Amino acid sequence: MELNILIAGVGGQGNLFASSILAEYLLNKGYEVLAVETIGAAQRGGSVVSHLRVSDAEIYSPLIPAGKVDVLMGFETVEMLRNFELLAGDGMYLLNDYKEPTVLCNMEMDTYPSDEEIMAALKKSGKKGYAIKATECARQIGGSLLTNVVMVGALCQVLPLFDSQEVKQVLAGKSPAKVKEQNLQAFDAGGSLVQEALRRS
Amino acid sequence: MSEQEYLMGNEAMGRGAIEAGVKVVAGYPGTPASEVLEYVSKYPDINAEWCINEKVALEVCMGASLCNTRSLAVMKHNGTNVALDIMMHINYTGVRGGLVMISGDDPGGISSQNEEDSRIITRLDAHLPVFDPWCPQEAKDMIKTAYELSEETELCFVVRPVMRVCHARSKVSMDGMKKGKEPRFEDDRSRFIMSAVKETKAGGTLRPVVRHRWLNEKQSVLNRIMEESSFNHIEDGEGKIGLVACGIGYAFVKEAEKILGKKFPVLKLGTLPLPKNKVLQFARKMDKLVVYEDSEAVVEGLLKQMFFDEDIKVEVMGRSGFLPKEGELSATVVLKSLAELFPELKEKIPATAPLEMKVPIRTRTQCVGCQYRGLLHALKIVAHKYKGVVTGDIGCYDAGSFPPLELQSTIYCMGSSIPMASGIAYSGYDKPVFAIIGDSTFFHNGVLGLLNAIHNGADMVVIVCDNRTTAMTGFQPHPGSDVDVRGEPALAIDVTHLATAAGAASARVVNPYDIPQVTEALEKAVKEKGVSVVVATMPCYLVARRTGELGFTPRKVVLDEDRCNGCKICVTYFGCPAIHFSDGKATIDYGTCVECGMCVEVCKRGAIIWS
Repeated sequence: MELNILIAGVGGQGNLFASSILAEYLLNKGYEVLAVETIGAAQRGGSVVSHLRVSDAEIYSPLIPAGKVDVLMGFETVEMLRNFELLAGDGMYLLNDYKEPTVLCNMEMDTYPSDEEIMAALKKSGKKGYAIKATECARQIGGSLLTNVVMVGALCQVLPLFDSQEVKQVLAGKSPAKVKEQNLQAFDAGGSLVQEALRRS
Repeated sequence: MSEQEYLMGNEAMGRGAIEAGVKVVAGYPGTPASEVLEYVSKYPDINAEWCINEKVALEVCMGASLCNTRSLAVMKHNGTNVALDIMMHINYTGVRGGLVMISGDDPGGISSQNEEDSRIITRLDAHLPVFDPWCPQEAKDMIKTAYELSEETELCFVVRPVMRVCHARSKVSMDGMKKGKEPRFEDDRSRFIMSAVKETKAGGTLRPVVRHRWLNEKQSVLNRIMEESSFNHIEDGEGKIGLVACGIGYAFVKEAEKILGKKFPVLKLGTLPLPKNKVLQFARKMDKLVVYEDSEAVVEGLLKQMFFDEDIKVEVMGRSGFLPKEGELSATVVLKSLAELFPELKEKIPATAPLEMKVPIRTRTQCVGCQYRGLLHALKIVAHKYKGVVTGDIGCYDAGSFPPLELQSTIYCMGSSIPMASGIAYSGYDKPVFAIIGDSTFFHNGVLGLLNAIHNGADMVVIVCDNRTTAMTGFQPHPGSDVDVRGEPALAIDVTHLATAAGAASARVVNPYDIPQVTEALEKAVKEKGVSVVVATMPCYLVARRTGELGFTPRKVVLDEDRCNGCKICVTYFGCPAIHFSDGKATIDYGTCVECGMCVEVCKRGAIIWS
């Protein structure tokens, strides 16, 4: 068994918390886990990528090799598109349909792709995946900072490796008291969003 | 079996030092190595401190070592350059208590100004022994071994993890902690007075030569130790092309083997000096060696030299040309190189298909709500008005040099903004010159440039971005902060008082959110003779929003569409990411906006107004 999850987003979206929830669950299950994230300068409004690798055997490279990403979680649209090439042939994506314009796009020196362009390119890629409005949902629950938890909830609904109830327990254990209830609510909401997306497709 | 914990490489190294009984830990924050010291600081019996810079940190550690206690100096590769001066003496004098230095490298320059390989200055220049770990567990083991060997050989040991080892998270063994030794001090002036004095014990030979000889003689001891080291090993495999996997290179080579389903002959290396006999034993069976290392061809060069001396005919390839000379190593780089050597393997390399669309690049910028957006805006207005030059420095505010601000004309190393501005002032160039520098960077190495400029009578303006923290690397305190690494109260050194005491023409404190106030202060400063200092004081927004010390009163702003003429100053000159532009008008993104209100001042049409 080997599973490679790549989380792509922008600084401040909480990649690391999402990755640590999943990692703790997997470690509890007895798997080998190797993770790495880009931190530092990238935090200031830049691109942030987290690699999470799971296996029942020893894992060597902390970075997922190109073409070996099984699940690409996009916390932001172009950040997911930027890493799309790393997806395995049978890999899937889970997109938060949320757009954070880049500085250069704002200045009209660059163009943020339109929904039509994005949908066409994703369709042409032949890769399967889901798009959910996680940030919109997070804002309804309590704030955009909950986006990461909505996405984790969604992922657990999609991948049989994750038992949603058990991951939720890990989440409860790792959540500061102040935001615990909101986190649990966001987690469930993520699951529902994916179920809805499944029904639509 | 010992207990295991899921730790980051940096934490694993900190844990290794704790288990080895370290007593003094000193460093300067810098990605990728910052978390080592933060981890250690949770242990109250250890003296952990953020130092003003890396040279000071290594000197603090040497002092502890003189008292026979174990110490750890932590820095990133750029900082290792700063510490080089003292390192080039510690190598001659040797140490007493185990002294280990962590130099975190950043191949690919992901969070740095360059992608320097610090094995070059620590090993090839200072001749210190270097360990190069491939994973967090080995990094921890290397730290512990380094302490034992440091005391056995009396040499400072260097552990050089690359970013992907520092930041990797995996299960790491947790073992018992060794108790530190009782401190004692004993004079040995023939070692610890490094001076060009004639050494009576050596028949009048100058001491630097005597100590250099000592260091050279230590190399044969190191050679014997590394020969036995478990950090180097040989793995058998098919064929006569051997893969030499150094440090993180081992992770990528093993990953490639797994993907290709093929076992190559592998020489795993983790030490410098190299284990000569092991290398020769491996090389004698091979026709060709490929060396995988980050980021310069260091081991490759050493192997070529060794094989020339030993008259062994084996081709050595690596980062001198066969592999990319720049950038970070990865499993993908290893796979590509193997496909070149073994064309039949090409089909086993995972296929990748680029998405058929252009994806916009994302550049770093000031955070929404960052006070420095206001400061940079005011500085841009004044600098443009007088056609001045702005020199920049390292820290969050460096994003002012990227679009849309494009203000700073230079960014080099820590503290260089001020001396460079002096040089511009001395050049005879007749426009004003401004140096902008963060507070942590100012204390690190900028303060000397300021004293130099004041003393030598440079005519310039120095702007210190005083947010009371090292925000860029994760909010570590510095000498201008009123707390230490543990959050305990510490004496904060006031930049304004310091500048005044040094004799600056003026030292004005401004609120960086207050664009008119900053503009006025800069206007006055630029007209003065000598060095004028403007200190923009306000806690970092990201810290302030947690502590409630906001530098502004949050208040909603709205756009008056009738007044917005689409001039785009808010987007292309000021550049707040919470302001978007569509259909010829600005729009406020209320999901992102933090209500700092600086844009109200920026909009000259009065189209952005208080709600």
